Amino acid sequence: MAKLRHLAIACKDPDAMADFYCKAFDFKLVSSNDGTLAYGHHISDGTIDLAILRFKSDQIGKGMDYTGLHHFGVLVENIDEAQKAVEALGGTHYMDQENPDRTGGFEVKLYGPEGVLFDVAEHPWTGSEALPGAEIKEAAE
Amino acid sequence: MPKLRHIAIAAEDPEAMAEFYKKAFDFKEVGRPNGHLADGVFLSDGTLNMAILKFKTDQLGKGMDYRGLHHFGVLVEDVEDFTKKLDSLGAKHYIDQGHDGHQAGYFEKKFFGPEGVLFDIAEHGWAGAEPLPAPLKDAAE
Repeated sequence: MAKLRHLAIACKDPDAMADFYCKAFDFKLVSSNDGTLAYGHHISDGTIDLAILRFKSDQIGKGMDYTGLHHFGVLVENIDEAQKAVEALGGTHYMDQENPDRTGGFEVKLYGPEGVLFDVAEHPWTGSEALPGAEIKEAAE
Repeated sequence: MPKLRHIAIAAEDPEAMAEFYKKAFDFKEVGRPNGHLADGVFLSDGTLNMAILKFKTDQLGKGMDYRGLHHFGVLVEDVEDFTKKLDSLGAKHYIDQGHDGHQAGYFEKKFFGPEGVLFDIAEHGWAGAEPLPAPLKDAAE
């Protein structure tokens, strides 16, 4: 089964917000990035990557001033099959990761019902848990 | 460590949206919440509870027409301890679970964190969500 492994929050001050959740819940800072899409921090509870980001474009059509929960991400076994399944169900493709060699973040972004944005990836988000059985499979190969 | 165990999406048609995620990612339906705050469908990936809800009040201050990711929830060991900690970090208490019998399987307290981001805490766990990992002491016994 696919797994929810990523949650992104849009905010104005990622430094302060990441610090709050690290102090409040003992989440760990995994990485900080300033990329083409956003500036911010990735923190982890050991299972989920919680991305606290100041976005540089309006990915969800709510305006650049929008703050709040932004999108989620699902870790899948096979990205192509997942994308086909989503599109067959009426989901629409938004964008691909611009660097196909980069792993540890989203690989494809799609819109589901009611314009809800979500990512899919077949490599775990940095700091998040792999799919159950993935380590066993890798070890056996 | 506390764990992210719940994400909630505000939807106009929770039934259709839940059907989409069930088919797309094989998430399982684990409940049909019907309360004074929202109606909808609880899904699970085996680790997190994903609530797809039609809200009855404007919890976020974004208007009743708001659609999209709404709030998240953190499973903690002790709600009272974390309430004190969150208060000390400047989080604003919003509401408590008021329905008898709803303490298990739902949020227990809601807070606004930095920039007005809403999140829940609970110590009993959301329906279909994984419990906190057993402390090492328990595991050794």
